Amino acid sequence: MVFILPWIIFVSSFLAYPLLLAFRTSFLSINVLSPDKAAFVGFENWLNAIKDFQFWKSLFNVVYNQAFFIPISMALGLIFALLLFELGNKGVLYRILLFIPVVTSVPVAYIIFRDFAGTSGPIQKILVLSGLIDQSIDWAFTRYLPMPIIAVFNSWKWFGIQMLILLGGLHGINQSSFEAASVDGTNWFQKILFITLPQLKHQLIFILTVNIINGLQMFTEVYILFGSGGGMYGAGLTPVLYLYDMGFAQQKMGYASALGLLLAVVIFLVTIIQLKITNSDEE
Amino acid sequence: MYKQKLISRLIIHLFFVISLFICIYPFFYMINNSLKTGMEILNYPLSLPHTINFSGYIRVVTELNILRLFFNSSFIAGSVTILSVLLNSMVAYALEKIDFKYNKIIFRIILFTMMIPPVLLLIPTYMFLFNLGWKNTYRVLIIPGAISAYNIFLFKQFFKQISNTYVEAAKIDGASHFMIYRKIILPMSIPVLSTVAILAFMGSWNDFMGPLLYINEQSLYTIQLGITKFRSSIPNTNLQVIYASTTFATVPVVLFYMLFQNQFVKAYSGISLK
Repeated sequence: MVFILPWIIFVSSFLAYPLLLAFRTSFLSINVLSPDKAAFVGFENWLNAIKDFQFWKSLFNVVYNQAFFIPISMALGLIFALLLFELGNKGVLYRILLFIPVVTSVPVAYIIFRDFAGTSGPIQKILVLSGLIDQSIDWAFTRYLPMPIIAVFNSWKWFGIQMLILLGGLHGINQSSFEAASVDGTNWFQKILFITLPQLKHQLIFILTVNIINGLQMFTEVYILFGSGGGMYGAGLTPVLYLYDMGFAQQKMGYASALGLLLAVVIFLVTIIQLKITNSDEE
Repeated sequence: MYKQKLISRLIIHLFFVISLFICIYPFFYMINNSLKTGMEILNYPLSLPHTINFSGYIRVVTELNILRLFFNSSFIAGSVTILSVLLNSMVAYALEKIDFKYNKIIFRIILFTMMIPPVLLLIPTYMFLFNLGWKNTYRVLIIPGAISAYNIFLFKQFFKQISNTYVEAAKIDGASHFMIYRKIILPMSIPVLSTVAILAFMGSWNDFMGPLLYINEQSLYTIQLGITKFRSSIPNTNLQVIYASTTFATVPVVLFYMLFQNQFVKAYSGISLK
């Protein structure tokens, strides 16, 4: 019993109690500095949250971001995992070095990135020199560029984890299926497509699930690039950033709680849909 | 046939070298610029430093007091790591090796809590800890991070592989559960201990939102919060200070990773490679 005690204390104070508080707060108009002035407002926060254009805009932004991040990072992870597997022991050094972006912190990565991808940074210089763009772009102040660009940069930051998970999956595949295939005269790409990928299904689904749940909760990246306002046109606004802005910058704790619950409902629905799809695949 | 294989190998290596260059270049850019003057960075951001200039590093130590931030981050992440390893393994031990009729239900609840998105608890946890008067303390960043459902899960999976005969034999010899846990289970669990330690340490060290919400006293800043706040206070003519601060924050972690890279692989992917 003593062994479980830490967990009981933890769950009651940092999960159960806040959860109840979240519900209660979502029906109040409250400011943490003057809780005595809290007023019961019924479903007002909830209704406002559902009607809030900014909230849905922020949700659109993360979906927009994921539409780029998921394919790019998974493709990178898969390509590097397959090639590392081909190289075997000779690829260890590559594997070690390619993982370095993962261990650096998001603040460090985004502080560098802001200048690195900025108007006088090396990326834009190369793009201008190669003629792909006419002149450097201050993309942070555009309507639709921030999210795809963040997605590319996040792919750089995180593909290493996906690469490792897929590499582990490749090591687990039964080698005899490859040998049978090479006897049949299939080429490398056919082998990957028809034999390797289906056997990596569990790893790919796991990566996809984690990506979607983490993606919906993006915060630090956009906070560092845009501050709590989400940038011009709200192009960098994410649900968590919006919630942070409402709850802490504007001190509308009740409204922010309702937003949090609404976002939790969305995440919950996405998870259920995902489970449904992956389960129906199993059969 | 042999020649063809050699060529395809060469192409793969070439591909990796180019990729590595792209992957690592931002770090080179950061270190390179940390050794220039601000004007040099603005005018020639890509060139090598004209003369090596340490003014960025000096200002980071004197103005940002980065050594203090380092101490704060190390103390917080170190405490979280120790507590995580101890407490989560204790809970997992109880669930796996002690006969207790509610074990199954408790484990179900633990799995369920893994599904609660952290963002839902952001505001209420803040209100709770604010009312406790924990703002601007070390413990506000240590205690809530000490237990995690995922780490309990990792420990429990590992303990499952340890045969119950060890536990039974020790019990017959009159050992208490605490003795069994400390003398038998923990020494056999080094792989999972290092996994949890790495995940806990890195999670705490790289955490940004926690310090942002709970710490606004400069002497308690963590390194992540410190460099971010510092960024907005430095004019563009002194960019080298920014790069010096991020270099300071990155190099120790990368070295740490290089030293323990095998353990990192296991921790981040749940697998062990040969």
